Amino acid sequence: MAVSIDHYVGLAAVMFFIGVIGVIVRCNPLVMLMSIELMFNAANLLFIAFARVWLQNAGHIFAFLVITVAAAEAAIGLAIIVTTFGPERYVDVDDVRALRG
Amino acid sequence: MPHHLLGVPGSYPLVEALWLLPLAGAILCWAFGPQLRTLAGWLASALVGASFVLAALSWGAATQTAGAALGASQALGSWLPGFDFGLLLDPLSLIWTFIITGVGFLIVFYSIGYMEGDRAYARFFAYMSFFVFAMLTLVLSDNWVGLLVGWGLVGVASYFLIGFWFQRPSAVAAARKAFVINVVGDAGMMFAIFLIVANVHAIGFGDVFSAAGGLSSTLVFWICAALFIGAVAKSAQIPLHTWLPDAMEGPTPVSALIHAATMVTAGVYLVARSAPLWSHNPQAQVLVGTVGAITALTGAILGTAQWDIKRILAYSTMSQIGYMIMAVGVGAYEGGVALFFTHAFFKAQLFLGAGLVIHALNNEQDVRRMGGLWKKMPFAFWVMLTAVLAITGVPGFSGFFSKDEVIFGDLQFGHPVLFAISALTAGITAYYMFRLLFIAFFGEYRGDVDHAHAPGWTMNVPVAILVAPSVAIGAALLSGGENSPWARFFAAQFGPDMAAIAHRPPAISEGVTSGIVFALVLIGFAIAWWRYASPGAQRDAGERLEGETRGMPAVLVHLFYVDDAIQLLFVRPAQRLGAFFGSIFDPHVIDGAVRDVVFWARWLGTLVRSFQTGLVRAYALILVFGATCFIVYYAFAAGALH
Repeated sequence: MAVSIDHYVGLAAVMFFIGVIGVIVRCNPLVMLMSIELMFNAANLLFIAFARVWLQNAGHIFAFLVITVAAAEAAIGLAIIVTTFGPERYVDVDDVRALRG
Repeated sequence: MPHHLLGVPGSYPLVEALWLLPLAGAILCWAFGPQLRTLAGWLASALVGASFVLAALSWGAATQTAGAALGASQALGSWLPGFDFGLLLDPLSLIWTFIITGVGFLIVFYSIGYMEGDRAYARFFAYMSFFVFAMLTLVLSDNWVGLLVGWGLVGVASYFLIGFWFQRPSAVAAARKAFVINVVGDAGMMFAIFLIVANVHAIGFGDVFSAAGGLSSTLVFWICAALFIGAVAKSAQIPLHTWLPDAMEGPTPVSALIHAATMVTAGVYLVARSAPLWSHNPQAQVLVGTVGAITALTGAILGTAQWDIKRILAYSTMSQIGYMIMAVGVGAYEGGVALFFTHAFFKAQLFLGAGLVIHALNNEQDVRRMGGLWKKMPFAFWVMLTAVLAITGVPGFSGFFSKDEVIFGDLQFGHPVLFAISALTAGITAYYMFRLLFIAFFGEYRGDVDHAHAPGWTMNVPVAILVAPSVAIGAALLSGGENSPWARFFAAQFGPDMAAIAHRPPAISEGVTSGIVFALVLIGFAIAWWRYASPGAQRDAGERLEGETRGMPAVLVHLFYVDDAIQLLFVRPAQRLGAFFGSIFDPHVIDGAVRDVVFWARWLGTLVRSFQTGLVRAYALILVFGATCFIVYYAFAAGALH
């Protein structure tokens, strides 16, 4: 069975929803960051796949940009986690509620 | 539309300068009061005096003629395209300018002594100079709007000066009353200007007068009536006269300049200036003549029942202005303006003479506490005596000629009833003026000031100068009927207007009417003599005056209930309306609306706040929900549209 574009789209959708569910249900900020990375990669997979289908390099370039932004985002996210929770063992994003109205 | 000019257009720097010099005086006195100290009075008088000299030098410009144009017209600029403003100096405004700056100079000079030692010395002279500037704006303007600007500014100056001693609550109340009543008049004038602009599309006197022939007589009547509301308020005519006696709260020089000689005669100027409108409208003439005659009579009657020397003079002023308004109303413009001219001298003299007495007696104004002053203050007595002879119209004195012309004018233009009223008023005038003179200057002194301190020369000299015109100017200018210098001076100004009024020659000549009037004056004098100056009356003067105070009829004590009527009809309803708005409308409707807005804003805020949980995962869920909604929308709904 040949691997068609539909398979890539299906895989990307599954990866994306795993990421979404991860962000919503997990309390650990590190796991949430990883879930976000999963969503980024789902998007990257689609960029590459469609670049291949339509034979255009813009998709590849976009994937590089997304990887760069994801790295920066991970760095900022980790920095926020470190400054917010400090050297504690147990971390839970639900403990941070400074924005509550 | 070509512009019609009343004056000969040209450049007249003298006219501009005489208009602006008093303003410079006001600004200097205002800005540098503390530095100028007593120099403020000298500076203000010098600038007003210089303005008078420039007015005299402008005589030629003011009386020049070119075709139908008379006087000097100086363009200054325009309010809007087609609505120009400028200065107009013709014989009518020249006469007013002479009085404003000439008598004004004497009174400002007199104030140097009168106001000595006052805390706000420079402020007084700043206000006086400002008043002179405002009054000149009024009479020199060549259009209705400029006239209204001057009209409003003299009202402001009058407000400042009546309330000059603002520590006294009565002065503040009087100033407020004068201002509010005058604003009623300003509203009337504004309505007249609206009517003029709507129908003629111009504000210049020349444009309006040349277009007046094409207007319907009903419209002209309403324009005249609305203008006359302004004149009624400013010139203290019935029923808006009540502010004038109260205005005596101001310093005496203010009463002399503003509330006797100049500002209150602005209504006479207004009617005389609008003569081409009035002359073609008999209804407007009857309205103005009747109001003037009733005011003359009422003022004279009220003058007989006053005890405050300045209030007697205030009612006398009201009565005399009633004469002037009546005269310009029926069409005797020359006579009305002549009475204004002579009245300015002898009434200023009366006020300044009264000021000498008040100043000497430590601000005593009640004539019951005077008496016998001719021995203490012979100069003040002679001043008052000559002025009283002038105002009552004793033959030879200036008031005789001008008042004669006014009273005869009623017959000349066919108003015998007004003639009867004004002749009767002349008799009452003689009674109350001699009553004042006899009570204050004859008999024994009834007050408690031991040593009357003599006023300085700065006060005596201006009064002495005023005596000359108030005695002699009538004989010099007004004698000779049709050929008098006065009639020739105004022939070009009022000739066409007076000729436009239909009238038949009266049945009796001017000599007979002046005989009738003089007989009535003698009767008034005799009654005053019998009641206050005869040996019998002098013996127990104190008790007699007390008895007169107690026995004064209520209708006179309450001044014909005009104040009470205004209180009942306007002030109370206004207060009730204010109370309604203050206690119901404002707290419940206005404040209520504000409170409702606050309530709903807070409710909405509470609602929206509850969405802000602070939980990162909740935000993520909401975000996902929103994104899902978008996707669903574009996947199904939007796609279905294609």
